[in-house]
Amino acid sequence: MSHENNIAGMNFPTVNVIHDQALVETFVEGIGKNIFILTPSYPFVFIGKLVDVIEDQAVVDVKVTSISELENRQWFIHIHQIEVYYIQQKGMPRIPELKTNF
Amino acid sequence: MKRKFHVVAISIRIVLNNFGDYNRNGIMYVLKENEQKVKDLVKKNPFTPVDLVQPLCIRANVGDEVEILFENQIHYATGMHFQEADYDPQDSDGANAGFNPSSLAEPGEKITYTLNVNHEGVYMFTDLGNPDSSDQGTNINGMFGCLFVQPRGSWWTDPVTGGPINSGVYADIHHPFLPSYREYGWIFHDEMPTRDVTGNSPLDPMTNQERESTHAVNYRYEPMENRVRLLEEGVVSPDGHGEEVHHDSWVFGDPATPILRGYRGDPVKLRLVHGGVKETHVLHYHVHQWSKDAKNTESEILDAQAVSPQSWYTVQPHYGLGSLQGAIGDAIIHCHLYPHFGVGMWGINRIFDTLQDGTGCYPNGEPIKALQPLPDRPCPPKPTKERPGFPNFIPGKLGCKAPRPPLGIVGGRDMTELERNAAVPNARPGAVFVDPCALADNPVVQEFNVSLIQLPIVYNRQGWNDPIGRIYVLDEDIEDVLSGRKEPEPLVMHMTANTCVRINFTNRLPEVVGGSAFQLVTRTYETGVHVHFVKFDVLVSDGANVGWNYDSSVLSGETIRYEYFADVELKAWFFHDHLFANFHQQHGVFGTGVVHPRFTKFLDSKTGEEVDHGVQITAIHPLIPDYRDMVLMVQDFALLYDKDGCPLQPPDFPGSQDDPGLFGVNYKNEPLQFRLGKDKDPAYSFSSYVNCDPITPILHCYEGDPIRVRLLQGAHEESHSFNIHGLRWKAEHPDSETKFRDQQHIGISESFTLEMDVPRSGDYLWTFETEEDLWNGLWGLIRAFEEEVDFLIPLSDREPPPQRTTALPEPTGKPPEKAKIVPSPGPVNAAVKTFNIVAFHKPITYSKWDERDPFGIVFALEEDVEDILDGKNPEPLIIRANQGDVVEINLTSKLQFDQFPFPDGIWPYPPVKEQAFYPPSVRISLHAQLLDYDVKTSAGETVGFNPDQSAAPGEIITYKWYVDNPVGACGLWDMTDIRNHRSLGTFGCFIAEAKGTKYLDPSTGEEVKTGANVVLRNPYLPDTREFVLVLYDGARLVDKKGDLIVDPVDAILGGVDPEDRDDLVDTYDNGSRGFNYRTERLINRLREHPVLKDLFSSRVFGDPSTPLFEAYPGDPITIRLVNPSERRRAHTFHLHGHYWNNDDKDITSEVRSVEGEIVAGHAVDLPLHYGAGSLYQYPGDYMYRSGNIRWDIEAGMWGIIRVHKSKQNHLFVLKKKNKNENKI
Repeated sequence: MSHENNIAGMNFPTVNVIHDQALVETFVEGIGKNIFILTPSYPFVFIGKLVDVIEDQAVVDVKVTSISELENRQWFIHIHQIEVYYIQQKGMPRIPELKTNF
Repeated sequence: MKRKFHVVAISIRIVLNNFGDYNRNGIMYVLKENEQKVKDLVKKNPFTPVDLVQPLCIRANVGDEVEILFENQIHYATGMHFQEADYDPQDSDGANAGFNPSSLAEPGEKITYTLNVNHEGVYMFTDLGNPDSSDQGTNINGMFGCLFVQPRGSWWTDPVTGGPINSGVYADIHHPFLPSYREYGWIFHDEMPTRDVTGNSPLDPMTNQERESTHAVNYRYEPMENRVRLLEEGVVSPDGHGEEVHHDSWVFGDPATPILRGYRGDPVKLRLVHGGVKETHVLHYHVHQWSKDAKNTESEILDAQAVSPQSWYTVQPHYGLGSLQGAIGDAIIHCHLYPHFGVGMWGINRIFDTLQDGTGCYPNGEPIKALQPLPDRPCPPKPTKERPGFPNFIPGKLGCKAPRPPLGIVGGRDMTELERNAAVPNARPGAVFVDPCALADNPVVQEFNVSLIQLPIVYNRQGWNDPIGRIYVLDEDIEDVLSGRKEPEPLVMHMTANTCVRINFTNRLPEVVGGSAFQLVTRTYETGVHVHFVKFDVLVSDGANVGWNYDSSVLSGETIRYEYFADVELKAWFFHDHLFANFHQQHGVFGTGVVHPRFTKFLDSKTGEEVDHGVQITAIHPLIPDYRDMVLMVQDFALLYDKDGCPLQPPDFPGSQDDPGLFGVNYKNEPLQFRLGKDKDPAYSFSSYVNCDPITPILHCYEGDPIRVRLLQGAHEESHSFNIHGLRWKAEHPDSETKFRDQQHIGISESFTLEMDVPRSGDYLWTFETEEDLWNGLWGLIRAFEEEVDFLIPLSDREPPPQRTTALPEPTGKPPEKAKIVPSPGPVNAAVKTFNIVAFHKPITYSKWDERDPFGIVFALEEDVEDILDGKNPEPLIIRANQGDVVEINLTSKLQFDQFPFPDGIWPYPPVKEQAFYPPSVRISLHAQLLDYDVKTSAGETVGFNPDQSAAPGEIITYKWYVDNPVGACGLWDMTDIRNHRSLGTFGCFIAEAKGTKYLDPSTGEEVKTGANVVLRNPYLPDTREFVLVLYDGARLVDKKGDLIVDPVDAILGGVDPEDRDDLVDTYDNGSRGFNYRTERLINRLREHPVLKDLFSSRVFGDPSTPLFEAYPGDPITIRLVNPSERRRAHTFHLHGHYWNNDDKDITSEVRSVEGEIVAGHAVDLPLHYGAGSLYQYPGDYMYRSGNIRWDIEAGMWGIIRVHKSKQNHLFVLKKKNKNENKI
């Protein structure tokens, strides 16, 4: 990213860029861990393993989502489209295992 | 683009079916180019239907200008009034309303209408030259049609030839970059005067009485009674009885009613239109589901849609024909109201899997017309000898009942070779020709063993009972239910999304039902489970016997497997029998399955054990909030006897469909006549202190719990109005951006999920609010406990309730005390707006024709009482407050027992079923919709174990309501005495406005506290005119001589045959009606000036007595419409020349000019697009009115909004935001 500093009184990188990059870095640190994601768009819920981060896309091996036809495949999820996420960590709550037990 | 149509109104004989039933006085619109052709064809074919005799359907695109040259060949003035369109009311209204020049065409003359069509949808047109509701009217005889408006850039072709078409109910619509779709015009209409082929009134061969009135689709109907005659004569299906085969094409060939043809997967828009005059019908479309609002992808999913007269919907099935699973076969489409269904209001959606080029035949040798594949879809394979395609692989025998499906019946047959060729590779019982469960990888399989049994059911503590109740039960519960260990209740199965459901259904009914006061001896020898919403193979798992499909029911003692796939979280899927439904669904043959979110666990709310069925459960989920779930299934035509075995509300003769019997909810009722208590005061009818808890369902929860109420109607013909007092939910269950509601109209087979939290402890009243329903016991409670009880587990994701410190209340037989403190539900610093309100007796003059209610009871502000008593004619109380305000109501009663019309306690008119002693209460209360309050002090009713909330004469009762949201119109009404008060006027309206709003008198500009017509001034919003319409329909009026007016019968312009007078209308049709304590009955005008075409003219009669609202072109207008009172007949509201979003909180929602399904409790806000005069700001008079020809318009339910071209002294000019000057 190349910007001249201080165009129209703005300093680059802007606070938004810093914020967005910090979010991406958090996801990069979470690679290999289980993740829970909510998005405002369909299918809304993703639970699975965070396998990679490519630019600002999280690659998630999705085990559970709201409907079964969309499970068990890798999803590319735009990190900045994510409203809520939780990357599972030691000592913190586990992401519930969702099973239908019939 | 400019499109021109030359339309002619002609008299024509309409033959309604192949049995020769006809309407000799039919009137239809037709294109000039077809006029002679259709006349010649009808002359040559006097006893058979002629294809061209169909409601006129023409088409245009959004943005087009449409010019209609209308030629009138009827012997009186008629016209074409278009809904939805933009037009100049001076020349294109198709009416003669107010001070507009007439835009009707005189006999033999022509007139040109110019319309601009600016949104998609159905622009229905009807005649307003003759608003007579009698058999001599125009609409009733067929004078309606549609202009279907398509996306900009569309064109259309004939589905048979592929060539261009100018009109027709069916067309294929194409677009440069949108998918092509099939467009099916589906126009319900009712009450058409009909004769049989011999020229006599049609008789029902089963009862030998006149058959049900005509309920038709596109000028066709297929009465069961005609088909049964062929059975009785031994012409066909000698082993058949009647109802179970009456949709069977193997027996009778195809019906005369519409057969909507398409190929598997074709996109479809079914234009559901109500061109009729009276009933609110419910369309049910087998196999398919659609979004309630096609413009809103988050809207509720429906597979049944209620539709009121002169209103419309676009039904756009998800996944196209055959739905997600790709079903093929005949999917029946019908009005679910059984008497209508039985008399022939149905047709078929035929989904082919092979190409139809015009050379094929049906099994009976009838040629199959060609059907062009849609150009952007794969061409279906040609039929071959080995794979002939539907229906020719089905091994049926002509003249005999359809064959049973292969594999499904235990001990049944295997597939034939042709069936095997057509089947899916893993064909199995219940899924032979499509595999719905293959949609998911290895879904959960849940199996239920279900039986249909007969047993006596007792509905209430007084012993009202149905000796031949018929219910679905799980096999494991049969013994407990039959022995009385378990109470009979509708079967509610619970499952999660992504479940493959298998039902093993056993028919355990006796084969024959004996005769009774209600019904004739009937051989109900086969039954099934017909299911809604879920995905299934319609050929073998429809639980029905339709068209060329199999008969997927079983005989007594047999078991059949059905398979369904619940693909996503749905709501409650309705199921019922489809074979003898008209005969026995009202005995209880209905149930439901609820599809919860994936991974939900279902617990018994008392024990915490896991369950898979039950009307009330607790649902636990690892991610979303846990909730309480309750199913309410309402029923009418419940054929009950009292404890001594006397029939309650029997019909005139057994087998009559004329509103027999009473009502129930989950096989229970709690009639108010038994709840007077020792003091005989109706004000405490809902109190559990006086009368103990009702026997009807009580949903238990703790304060703060989320709840989901699943609302369904199991039987049988009528509209009902569900309300929860003190709670509210989002109108579209999946969409948070919709308006709040606390009321829902429901017709049979509809299903709604109402999701909300219960904010505070207390008893919340749920009702089916119309007078007759409530009187006969359709109400119950939602009880929220603040402390722990041992019969309700806490929700796992909420704080456990505190331990119990006080004993639960017990009935005392005495009215409760008032609450000592009325807490404010708002923040401590909220502004408090106080209204001191008095309820008192005051005669109300309803019209300038001196029609009045000498016993009126009105609510008024204390400061206005003197003026009213001094002679000012009262209006309903309309008060307002802003978001953030706390409203304090101090209500007092000045009612006197001897001022009531019927102090003896028998209220004769408007009547209700099961009349009984119920003396007038002199207490009063005021219930408000949609606001935030504590139901223990401020619900305006004395309910359950809540304290008293009514005021006796001389007392003051205080309520505190918090306006937490600008929810707009809220109905207000009294709840102390629904029999003796409401008809006299004890209702009004509260409006929750935006923060910072002032309410100005439109004439003086001064601030006002009440009134139906104000200007809203808000620093952040444009000045807006607010017109409030309080629609009422149960008034009891007398004429200028003091004689009782028996509406609607006394209002019928064409008069009534004295023989028909007593049974023309149903109980709930009775009562005078209009807006805001005013009415303008056309019969008065007709008597003074007997010219039909002039009846709405202000030049002839002056303005109507109903509210006249005035504005200048372009003025922003919001209409607030409430219906606090009180009958069960649903209405449509239509405003000429204007339209609005169907959800005022969702700007992308569908645009419409009609609001349908209006019954007691309906409250809606209609901000008009572009303001007064709509887009082009045309000045003139615009009618607002009901859409019900029977029996609203002529009975006075209409008025005028006047848009002035020039400045008026009595109407100030609205302030513009960006300019100080106004151009007027």
